[in-house]
Amino acid sequence: MQIHKHTKTLLIPVLLFGLAATGCTPKQAESSTASADGKVEIDFWTFWGSETRRPIIEKIINDFNASQDKIIVKHTYLPWGDIWTKNLASIAAKNPADVIINDIASVDQRASKKQNTELTAYLEQDNIQDRFYESLWDNVLYEDKAYAIPFNTDTRMLYYNKKAFREAGLDPEKPPATWAELEEYAIKLDKKNGNVYDQVGFHPLWGDFGIDNWLLNADGGKGFFDNDNNMYINTPAKVEAVNWIKSWNDRLGKKNVDAMQAEFGSEQSNPFISGKVAMWIHQGTFATQIRDYGKDMEVGVAPIPEKTEGSGHYSGGGGFVAEIPYGAKHPDEAWEFIKYLTDYDAQKYWAVKNFDNVANKEAASDPELLSDPIYKAAVENLEVTTHFRAPIAVPDFKNLITPQIDSALLGNITAEEALAKAETDVKSMIQQAGK
Amino acid sequence: MGQAYSYSKGEAELVQPSLHKPGRRLPLRKVLIFTFLCAGSVLFLLPLWWMISTSLKSMQEIAQYPPTFIPEQFHWSNYLETWTAAPFTRYTMNTLLLTFFAVTGNVIVNAFVAYGFAKIRFRGKKLWFSVLLSTIMIPGFVTLIPQYVLFSKLGLVGTYYPIIIPQFLGSAFYIFMLRQFYLTIPTELSEAARIDGAGHFQIWYRIILPLSKPGLAAIAIFAFNGAWNDFLGPLLYVNDESLYTLQIGLQSFRGAMQTQWNYLMAGSVIVLVPMILLFFLFQRYFIEGMNLTAGTKG
Amino acid sequence: MNMNQPQAGAQHPLKASKPRRGKLARSEDRAGYIFILPWLIGFFGITLLPLLFSLYGSFTNYDITSQMDFIGLANYERMFSSDPLFWKSLSNTIYYVLWMVPLTTIGSVLLALLLNERVAGMRMFRTIFYLPSVLSGVGVYFLWMQLLNPSTGLVNTLLSWVGIAGPAWLTDPFWTKPAVIFMKMWAVGGGMLLYLASLQSVPPQLYEAARLDGASALRRFRHITLPMISPVIFYDVVTSLIGGFQVFQEGYVMTESGGGGPMHSLLFYNLHMWHKAFTVFDMGYAMAMAWVLFVVVMILTALNLKLSKRWVHYEGGDS
Repeated sequence: MQIHKHTKTLLIPVLLFGLAATGCTPKQAESSTASADGKVEIDFWTFWGSETRRPIIEKIINDFNASQDKIIVKHTYLPWGDIWTKNLASIAAKNPADVIINDIASVDQRASKKQNTELTAYLEQDNIQDRFYESLWDNVLYEDKAYAIPFNTDTRMLYYNKKAFREAGLDPEKPPATWAELEEYAIKLDKKNGNVYDQVGFHPLWGDFGIDNWLLNADGGKGFFDNDNNMYINTPAKVEAVNWIKSWNDRLGKKNVDAMQAEFGSEQSNPFISGKVAMWIHQGTFATQIRDYGKDMEVGVAPIPEKTEGSGHYSGGGGFVAEIPYGAKHPDEAWEFIKYLTDYDAQKYWAVKNFDNVANKEAASDPELLSDPIYKAAVENLEVTTHFRAPIAVPDFKNLITPQIDSALLGNITAEEALAKAETDVKSMIQQAGK
Repeated sequence: MGQAYSYSKGEAELVQPSLHKPGRRLPLRKVLIFTFLCAGSVLFLLPLWWMISTSLKSMQEIAQYPPTFIPEQFHWSNYLETWTAAPFTRYTMNTLLLTFFAVTGNVIVNAFVAYGFAKIRFRGKKLWFSVLLSTIMIPGFVTLIPQYVLFSKLGLVGTYYPIIIPQFLGSAFYIFMLRQFYLTIPTELSEAARIDGAGHFQIWYRIILPLSKPGLAAIAIFAFNGAWNDFLGPLLYVNDESLYTLQIGLQSFRGAMQTQWNYLMAGSVIVLVPMILLFFLFQRYFIEGMNLTAGTKG
Repeated sequence: MNMNQPQAGAQHPLKASKPRRGKLARSEDRAGYIFILPWLIGFFGITLLPLLFSLYGSFTNYDITSQMDFIGLANYERMFSSDPLFWKSLSNTIYYVLWMVPLTTIGSVLLALLLNERVAGMRMFRTIFYLPSVLSGVGVYFLWMQLLNPSTGLVNTLLSWVGIAGPAWLTDPFWTKPAVIFMKMWAVGGGMLLYLASLQSVPPQLYEAARLDGASALRRFRHITLPMISPVIFYDVVTSLIGGFQVFQEGYVMTESGGGGPMHSLLFYNLHMWHKAFTVFDMGYAMAMAWVLFVVVMILTALNLKLSKRWVHYEGGDS
């Protein structure tokens, strides 16, 4: 009788299939649209699952749920990175969330692919556009129509260790303002012990800035493309910037730089907090890490140094938006929630708890928040912060630029050659895409 | 013909003279192997030591540079905090459920299907075997979305079915593997049984299965680890956090900006323990074959 | 389903050798299909449709959410003519496979042989060597980034003890792939497990007979062990090859924002494909890439199957 036992085991999946096909699954997969008391339940997906962020967003959600009696928001945490994969799959299967937190840099790209919902009709009914920083609002438009609502943003600044400044005989109240000063300070802050550095003043590629941002800083705040898709890859200022970055490698020794970069890239120990590096570029929220892990550090913060006096302290930034995935079941209720999420109360709560730059101007410049010097500096820095955008046609154009610059930094080709080659490659990519 | 049945343990013990008479000196070869294994173990364990050491540090200490090899202070509480930071008890139950189905499904079904591919001559076998092999050559990313849409159309998204059902429909990797194991079993055995009038099912159940225990144990271990570590499957198909698994829970310690390394590593260590235990226990099947002479246990 | 009944025709084993497919062959056919039925259901139920969809998709401008127009061979043309990263990622992957497959195969066979000995504490040793292969998730990759640190990392520290100045593993484009292969070597426990299982299936009588004939250990390995475990070696080589071509995580997790590292030295084929599919939604192109890879791996596997006839020994007959 053995056979029968096994046949049954094999039949289970077959039966399940039969059940599935006829639609009588044991558990209904469709999210229930109406809860017991007649409220509409909407799904809200975020990647805020950590102990610090989850309680903050969940308090905002609970406040919203209590503030009215029509809608219940259900929060689902999905890991960073994988949240986008799941979002895509669920849009393709026509079963997406009602609201999702997504990247501000690619709203237009998603809009062009029908991944998010156009909000024009809602904005005519509730005009909330004026709540937000203009530069952020620009980022949620595709063909002049809004497809998302800004939630938060970030900007990068120069943090410096005041103690190290004093030891090196520098004035802790006078941070470097230009590239030349940055270099001069850095050399004074270097502490070498034989062949090994005990402390390094600065290196442009450590921290959270990166080559792209330096090229933007050098070039009057222009990235590789402006909002009208004009290209600025092979410009004199950008060539100069690549050469300048290479000069740091030459001075400190490529091997040292590589070694230290590998350490600092491990995302674990932070060389600024542990006193290995005296000047460090990072986002505004870095202040919370200094507060939590930097025992009795004295930290100053300043705008990114400019190439030459008057060229501009340009910085790069990003941020996140709330959007309604295309094909969501409850767009009207989703809109109500997004309105709440980006209104003064929720935004201020988020900013206070996270030390984060929020998109709502009024909440961002609340006096209580501005009393903190680093937060205040970050808000002011938003004025000179540019947001990267990629042309819709060639979203991954940077793949053609990065290796050329890497090659120039390794000394295989000159900076001019690198950027010229990159520009030619990107041009032909655009031509290809236009076919 | 009947002697073909004689691959039993008892027989092996009779044939194999005991190599270790009490009081005999250890051969040099064994000493060398032992030394080599000790050295190798240290190398293999060092990375793990770093994992455990990180799991016992405070975030302040992790932020220090250079990294310390031994934690200045042992924060055993990290483990408790990790466990309570997310509903890990619930995640463990969920993971165990999925793992149970994965192990039973894979061991039974693949053992069954592999017999067809290894021991029966039927028309179209070569074709189907090529098809089976080719299914593992397509990168999963490109079928991920269509497969999701398919399960969505079947109304199964939001349940465990999309994860459980495939475990009962055979896995190409394991079928191929077991087929190779079956092919090492001498044909005379099954031929003899055929002549005695046994059907394929009986041969599979009474002769082949007992002889391929090590292979089945390997599959059980692999299937357990696969389900235990599966991350994308549950993440895609489950919409409710109460159905999340351990691996998704672990991810919650990774932020876009900041990662709680001590919790992540403590969680990784916790998740690792059942897999080690399982392997330790299942090893029985790897020492049954020949090294079971009286008085020595591996 | 009376499989446990003696088959009609089983009493006439001689008939089986006749060219005409008789009753016995037909019942064999039936039994064969009954045994592979679960897999067939799975194949037609959940594998085939997505596969066909991706094949068709490779001839379209499919972007998952808004379009799927037929564009003929355009994706394939673009791949071979105007995507420099296609060739880069393919050569990275081939480099990786060429080193990884032989190294891990030899490594796991040697390890299994050692761990098949009878030495004190063997259970412990096996567990230790097996352990790294079950570690998964991002934690492991970050752990390795720490270990491969040029100055404070464990790997270079150990190398410096024997007088070797270790390279900048993950920042020097020349060394990134060797670093990843090195990492893979740490996880040979999975393959080891397989070989251990198959070593157990070698009948001890064979060794006894050889010993009585005075064959050396090396000869015993060459003429008994190797042929007996060759089917499993074959399995390992084929699947490592297939798996090796699908290497992805290492490049995704261990490089800045998953971009593929310094000078794209870790931009593996699947990573490039992944970015095309999920970063820029060029899913049609990604599907075309998948099918090109499929053909490459298919040819290599077919070659493997052909060559296997020469060195793989099947005790149970190659049916």
